Amino acid sequence: MSAKRPPFLVLGGSVTGAFVLIAAFAPLVAPYGSQTIAGPALASPSMHHLLGTNDVGQDILSQLIWGARTAALVALPAAAIAMLVGLLVGGLAGLLGGWVDSLTMRIVDMFLAIPMLPLLILIAALVGPSQITVIVLIAAGAWPSIARVLRSQTLSLAQRGHVRAARGFGGGALYVLRRHLAPALGPMLTANLVYWMGTAVVLQSGLAFLGLSDPTQVSWGEILNRALTHEGVYFSSEWVWWVLPAGFAIIIVCSGLAFLGLAFEPRFNPRWNRA
Amino acid sequence: MAPLLEITDLRVRFEDEVDALRGVSLLLDRGESLAIVGESGAGKSTLAQCTVGLIQPPQASGSVRLAGEELIGASAELLRSVRWTKAAIGLQGAPLNPVATVGAQIDEPLRERAGMGRAQARSRALELAREVLLDPLTLERFPHQLSGGQRRRAMIAMALALDPELVILDEPTAGLDPVTKGELLSRLSQLARERGFALIIISHDLSAAVALAQRTIVLYAGEVMEAGTSATVIEDPAHPYTWALVRAYPLMTTTKDLHPIRGRSPGPRAVPGGCPFHPRCTQAETICAEEHPPPEPSRGRLVTCHFGGVLDLLKAEGLGMTYRSGRQRTTALADVSLVVRHGEAVGIIGASGSGKTTLARILAGHVNPDEGSVVLGSQRVASSWRQEQRTFQRAIQLVMQDPWDALSPRLSVQEIIREPLDIEGAASRPESEDRVAEMLEAVGLPSSAEFLSGRTDSLSGGELQRIALARALVARPKLLIADEPTSMLDASEQARLLVILRELQVEMGLGLVLVSHDVAVVRKVTDRTVVLDGGRLAEHGPSELVCTSPQSPAARRLVEAAGIGLSPDGSEAPALAHEREESTWTRA
Repeated sequence: MSAKRPPFLVLGGSVTGAFVLIAAFAPLVAPYGSQTIAGPALASPSMHHLLGTNDVGQDILSQLIWGARTAALVALPAAAIAMLVGLLVGGLAGLLGGWVDSLTMRIVDMFLAIPMLPLLILIAALVGPSQITVIVLIAAGAWPSIARVLRSQTLSLAQRGHVRAARGFGGGALYVLRRHLAPALGPMLTANLVYWMGTAVVLQSGLAFLGLSDPTQVSWGEILNRALTHEGVYFSSEWVWWVLPAGFAIIIVCSGLAFLGLAFEPRFNPRWNRA
Repeated sequence: MAPLLEITDLRVRFEDEVDALRGVSLLLDRGESLAIVGESGAGKSTLAQCTVGLIQPPQASGSVRLAGEELIGASAELLRSVRWTKAAIGLQGAPLNPVATVGAQIDEPLRERAGMGRAQARSRALELAREVLLDPLTLERFPHQLSGGQRRRAMIAMALALDPELVILDEPTAGLDPVTKGELLSRLSQLARERGFALIIISHDLSAAVALAQRTIVLYAGEVMEAGTSATVIEDPAHPYTWALVRAYPLMTTTKDLHPIRGRSPGPRAVPGGCPFHPRCTQAETICAEEHPPPEPSRGRLVTCHFGGVLDLLKAEGLGMTYRSGRQRTTALADVSLVVRHGEAVGIIGASGSGKTTLARILAGHVNPDEGSVVLGSQRVASSWRQEQRTFQRAIQLVMQDPWDALSPRLSVQEIIREPLDIEGAASRPESEDRVAEMLEAVGLPSSAEFLSGRTDSLSGGELQRIALARALVARPKLLIADEPTSMLDASEQARLLVILRELQVEMGLGLVLVSHDVAVVRKVTDRTVVLDGGRLAEHGPSELVCTSPQSPAARRLVEAAGIGLSPDGSEAPALAHEREESTWTRA
């Protein structure tokens, strides 16, 4: 296990780092603006346009970079909200037990049983495309499984001496959650955050690909959507620089986040903790 | 018939500021014996002197009637006629005239008051000497040639000379070796029975009180705290003061370390208001500081306490606990009842798996029992997230077995100990930091900034356990439950922790429940011991009895395992033999 850890950490860490940096500094890194028509339509890669241009003449590299920004701006808040809700629900259910636990866990089961993607598509289609909708929808899909995992961890942590002692000093559930559980769950929360960011990138791309995201914002899913709906894209070599880069961007970022999550995993495994 | 001695509301005040006696009343019948016990400065000797009229107005007020005669304010003649013939006092330390022989001093009252001739007086003196087991030859000697025991016997012989109806002896056994003391006590009780005189014995020696007197009164700061038959008062004390006094007294049967009474005796110059014992009392409430309690009958005696004596701090009744895993049911506890009184230390011993930790957790309110109830004061203890319940249960603190588990590895020492105060939220930051420093000092740990900001991973188990203790005590509990607090520590760390635990328990007036499988530890620290076996109560009783002569098989196994020799005479024979061997060797 430990032999496997460094490669995952290095690979996942560098991909995630690059993704976050590119997203943060998109205006500086991108050669052209997100909507700028920078050259002739469907130009092949050249010194001016490293990945060529799309059907309206927008620089594809710039579109990818701006798309990273969109992906990050959706994935990070969505995963963070899911994490917070998951921590509150799972932590309190585990600590309080009794009917609170039963009730919340039944709700969680219900959420888990519903297939996520069709529901997201349905709601996104009904509510209408906007970035906030997408964030809320992804968070709504992610929290139940987080809550479930955190609840089981809380159940075992609640038996730890310092947690019982804190209760003995008159500490309430929220206090125990904030002071003792959240720090102890820290590594696990981080791993989950990273994992759910990856999932959020995929979901956001998927929704955008289906045309259910803000059409004014460039995103990887939207690039694919545009490219694949362009008539005859497969009959020229255009798809090589128009379709593949966006596809690879999604794959690479998701794998990077997944690797990073994997690298964190041993740290929240209780057996590793005790050593 | 009127009682022989009737003291009503006797008050003695010296120099207008020293309150030696503050309203003492008592009755004594003919032939009866009474012990007056209490700490130094409680007014015992003053009371004795008043009973023969040695202290008069304006210092004394109230009434002392001896055989119907009022002694307070009595004329010198009356007092003279009463002393020696009706009431004789043997003063503390047996003050004899250094320039006359002992015999001459015993002769003196016989010749002057009974009008005997020289020879007759001497033969009576010899008879008296024989009665108090004094060698007749000593009558020819001067007091400084006598041993302490002989001087005291001479004193008693003098007191008995004129066949008084009341004999008052002030500390007759102080400073005597146990053999002499035993002889003297048995002789005195024999004499009292034969001659039928009433006896008042003043002593801080409780065993003397029980041996000699039918009744005992306990004096504190010039007041009667408790009065009743000696057996009830000394063997089953009701007043918190008597109780503390009995525990402070070394008995041969107690293997426990001496248990001093917390604080200091107030001294007659500054007696606190309200109940005079309240600053040192472990169960004092606001009423104790404000109102003076009247002596009232309670538990078959008179007790001067607002609560009628020592209260139960924690009461557990019929506790039962069953763990289920699948179809298998394991009974961890069945019908266990337990009482911890204010300031008392109770030990819970038992082999592994006997339900000790389950019991400790239930008592601390960390776990709810399946059956039975735990009550602290008048409120039920239960594991609950309700604000009110949580706040109430701060009064019980649990020190857990494993300090590595009990202290969060993510917090600094300062944050760990401050946690109860942070949760309580009543103290400001500097105040709570002061409290933390104070507690660290109390448990013998440094309170330097470096130590406070450090994490727990670099500290030893003993240090961690002391931090856990400091954290529990900073919450100002009324009851401390320590679950095998020393099981993970080495012998020297264990000794240090136990000493600290005991000292703090006395000082803070805590109730203590000490859970252990180690009989040797429990008998050093606790007053009473409960033995658990397979979740049931196998035995309970005073720690010294449970640990030296266990009745149940479970207790016997534990005691044998602890290696406390159960030799017939109860002594730890191997150790003594070893010492003797060593000393012979060094001499050679």
